[in-house]
Amino acid sequence: MKIDCHMHVNGRKRSWGWGDNDKIIDAADRLGIDKMCCSIPITTGMPTPAEVRECNDDVLEAMERYPGRILGYCFVNPGYQKEAIAEIERCVIKHGMMGIKLYNQYKCSDPVVYPIAEKAMELRIPILEHAGYVTDPPQAAMQPNISHAGDFVALAAKYPEAMLIEAHIGGGGDWEWAIKSLRHSPSVYVDTSGSVIDEGMIEMAVRELGARRLLFGTDMTMEGGVGKIMGAKLTEAQRESIFWENMAAILEKRVQL
Amino acid sequence: MIIDVNAYLGHWPFRQLRHNTASGILRLMDENGIDKAIVSSINAIFYKNCHAGNEELAVETKTHRDRLITFATLNPQYAGWEDDLKQCREDFGMAGLRLFPHYHSYELASKTSLDMIHKATDGGMVLAVPVCMVDRRQRHWLDNVSDLPISDIESAMRECPEAGFIILSGRGFQDSGLVRDEKLRSGNFLIEISRLSVVLQEEIPRLIEVLGPSKLAFGTGIPFKYPMPALLKMQVLDAPEQVKEKIRWENVARMLE
Repeated sequence: MKIDCHMHVNGRKRSWGWGDNDKIIDAADRLGIDKMCCSIPITTGMPTPAEVRECNDDVLEAMERYPGRILGYCFVNPGYQKEAIAEIERCVIKHGMMGIKLYNQYKCSDPVVYPIAEKAMELRIPILEHAGYVTDPPQAAMQPNISHAGDFVALAAKYPEAMLIEAHIGGGGDWEWAIKSLRHSPSVYVDTSGSVIDEGMIEMAVRELGARRLLFGTDMTMEGGVGKIMGAKLTEAQRESIFWENMAAILEKRVQL
Repeated sequence: MIIDVNAYLGHWPFRQLRHNTASGILRLMDENGIDKAIVSSINAIFYKNCHAGNEELAVETKTHRDRLITFATLNPQYAGWEDDLKQCREDFGMAGLRLFPHYHSYELASKTSLDMIHKATDGGMVLAVPVCMVDRRQRHWLDNVSDLPISDIESAMRECPEAGFIILSGRGFQDSGLVRDEKLRSGNFLIEISRLSVVLQEEIPRLIEVLGPSKLAFGTGIPFKYPMPALLKMQVLDAPEQVKEKIRWENVARMLE
């Protein structure tokens, strides 16, 4: 069993480059991935509520097209606070999405994110936040508001009940820095996705954070995402925990409405 | 049979590596069903006098030549490279030469570089060129080296068409001259697969389609990377067994002959 905690689907206007969403299901079938938690974030600028809604509508369509295989994160821009809360209620309460996706519009330690965290706690759903500690200055300058592990530490300190997922430790810059930063923030999960498949990364994360805090993800690096968990020196219990049990436990917590 | 064309021994100054000795990498290869690997010295990349790293490599691999195929590392701007190349070939039995123009600050198609490429080729050695060593987003502050443009490798190939090149850790080949330029396309090169995908983006199947199965080679990037993602790609590749055999070992074995 595998639950991919960080994946995307193509939308009408926003595409990640592989054509029809059937390709995702085909990839998942070939790699033994049972469920994929997907979103369509807008990765530049300050998206309006209308743009956000369109992205989420496309995720809802994919959920309907592939029931049980595609689960949805509701993407919002915390800067439009009232609309963001309304959009979370629409997507999660009315349409059954499983979590909230935040991108790089604001750092997750910014107070503008607090109402989103409070709503997530109320609904008992996770927040998956795009993240990275990018050490290459030109690349870092491209995303001035990207959250890093320190931002998660701050938000977790304010809301220890919130289920926060730091996105792609394998695609967010210095993963050793991220793992060490999160040692003392037990409510923060890390997702293992991203194109970086550095040997030892998963073992270090398990050693420093415990297998319970790792969530398997691909973020579209499919073979790498599965392969790094399969290839890491773990016990079978730890591997199962990362591949699906931890995410299944998060999904089970959602308030039933 | 599996031959990994992208492996290293030695110490990377910016991150601790495991399995980076001859016995360590052989254990890792055994655990993953990899029969042979082309290895070069990481230390040699950083020594001003690269050849000291080649000497270390020769000693380290002396009793493992049946499985570890050694490639030299040399800087064509450094004194005595011709003698060093000769010793690598004749005394150490090294089958090829890995070039790091981005780390050694020279142009791959410059006259000094081409002199060395010609000399190595005349001596029956294969050339290997890594596009990158680490993901730039997580680079060490002293590791201020950009990825090598594939066009630089193409320029060297045009200048030295008789040479055999293995391109390591590259991506984005679909729009490169290797695919678009008819003359280059029929050249003597192999593209290593560690940063390419089979599913979703389908880079490997597309390259097989346009270049044929004889232009790809299996590689992992060990001990920097987990080997499992590359092995998984071979598992999920929807291609006849004879195509997979070419990629796993036959193509590189032919080039090394």
